[in-house]
Amino acid sequence: MLAHLMKYKELMYFLVHKELRIRYRNSLFGFFWTLLEPLGLMVIYTVVFGYLVNLNKGLPEGAYPLYVLAGLIPWTFFNNSVRKGTKALSGNASLIKKVYFPREIFPLTMLISNLVNFIPAFALVLVMAMVMNQPIHGDQLALLPGMILLQAFFTLGVALLVSVLNVYYRDVEFIVNLLMRAWMYLCPIIYPMSRLYSRDTDPVVQQLADLYWLNPMAVIISLYHGIFFPEQGVPAHPAVPGLWIIYTILVTIILFFAAWYLFRKMNRRVGEVI
Amino acid sequence: MEAIVVDKLTKHFRRAYDKTLKGFFISLVKGEKRYKEFTALNNVSFKVNKGESYAIIGKNGAGKSTLFKVLSGIIHPDSGSVKINGKVAPLIELGAGLSRDLTGAENIRLNCAIFGLDRKRIEEVYPKIVEFSELEEFIHTPVKFYSSGMKARLGFSIAIHIDADIILIDEVLAVGDKDFKKKCYAKMEEIRDSGKTLVIVSHSLKPLRKICDRALILERGQVVDIGEINEMIDKYQDEKKTNNKKKKGA
Ligand SMILES: Nc1ncnc2c1ncn2[C@@H]1O[C@H](COP(=O)(O)OP(=O)(O)O)[C@@H](O)[C@H]1O
Ligand SMILES: [Mg+2]
Repeated sequence: MLAHLMKYKELMYFLVHKELRIRYRNSLFGFFWTLLEPLGLMVIYTVVFGYLVNLNKGLPEGAYPLYVLAGLIPWTFFNNSVRKGTKALSGNASLIKKVYFPREIFPLTMLISNLVNFIPAFALVLVMAMVMNQPIHGDQLALLPGMILLQAFFTLGVALLVSVLNVYYRDVEFIVNLLMRAWMYLCPIIYPMSRLYSRDTDPVVQQLADLYWLNPMAVIISLYHGIFFPEQGVPAHPAVPGLWIIYTILVTIILFFAAWYLFRKMNRRVGEVI
Repeated sequence: MEAIVVDKLTKHFRRAYDKTLKGFFISLVKGEKRYKEFTALNNVSFKVNKGESYAIIGKNGAGKSTLFKVLSGIIHPDSGSVKINGKVAPLIELGAGLSRDLTGAENIRLNCAIFGLDRKRIEEVYPKIVEFSELEEFIHTPVKFYSSGMKARLGFSIAIHIDADIILIDEVLAVGDKDFKKKCYAKMEEIRDSGKTLVIVSHSLKPLRKICDRALILERGQVVDIGEINEMIDKYQDEKKTNNKKKKGA
């Protein structure tokens, strides 16, 4: 399935390179500049939600900024890939109308360039944890490549879908932007996931807490959290301990193949409706 | 040996009334049709031999560009089949395959990569493309600042240098200046003589007589006639004259 894309590796390299060059402008400073948004958000969330609203309950003393960043960096990877992925086809209309090549290359290169951004950014989270003397759990850290792979496939599935839908219906972009906002609050980023189960939480929330893990992004973000905060990792289901992780892997596989199939199908008219 | 075999090709376009989800849901609720259909190509069949130069002539809206888009895989036909033997370089309408925000140089590399050239080959053909286009001065300017003539130059130069076996040229020379046009026509003859296949759409019919061997007349998506180039051009012009007379008479 991905094999026929190998013929186009020069093209993919060109597109990823272009995307990164625009973002970094060929400098290390450019890389830090891309971190400005998550770092800025970390400061804002720490002040607003850490101190004013006290969402930090359940986390070790002073660990809230690290917790926020450890969730925010993977979220930014997802968020940017999906938002930019929405425009991956429609933004290249002048090319798509005039030449043919596999169009899944556009969302795919968008994902790869965001992945290239994400990996050093996450390394920075590890550095921050060391500086803050927060223990890093090696057994969880060893799973990091798997987590990234899982997230990458899930993200690509979503990006494929929204990119082709946005060609047919131009308001998909607005809806995606709105949904991404809601989606972020449904992930454990600004609040520790243990709040769902804490005794002073609304009993209704406690009862429905299991539904929370039907959101694959909540599971994925918690996997990253588990590296630093074992008690904030994905909770074990009483019957099947790894249930939420297995569920997320399955959803990712199904979503990816469904998205690929739909992309292929809708791609047939992309050349004329774009 | 044929380079292109088109058999009973038909293409309908949907003209959507409203290209938004909102529009989609409104017409869903109202139960009305979301688009009207329009036949752009109707049962088109023809063959182009390897090494042949072929012209497609027809009025605006006849379906010439649509045919080229189907040949190059940009648009899927509804029925019928297209067989292509070799690599196709499409040069469709103005600004063919150029990304507005990229510079001329970046567009050259992008297009070469799209057509499967490896890095070594790209570096080989890059200077040739720049030289032929005569755009050295503007090569690092984003294409959105190019005039349509400059875009045509760049597009044509790329298309003839990407090692294609079949080159489709659609009206791109309509905007170039006289000298460049002359150079392009000379190049087309050279390409034809080198054994490559050319398919040309052009509104200036005179140069076609010199370059092409055969022609197809297309009218409202249907093939009117196929034959020797001079015969076809004469027939097309005669028809145009009688049509004009009829209009004047009425
Ligand atoms: N993407 C499209 N969607 C809907 N209609 C189209 C599309 N492209 C072309 N058409 C219609 O198809 C007809 C043929 O267009 P075209 O092939 O561009 O004509 P030509 O190149 O011969 O002037 C025109 O009536 C045009 O409006
Ligand atoms: Mg046309």
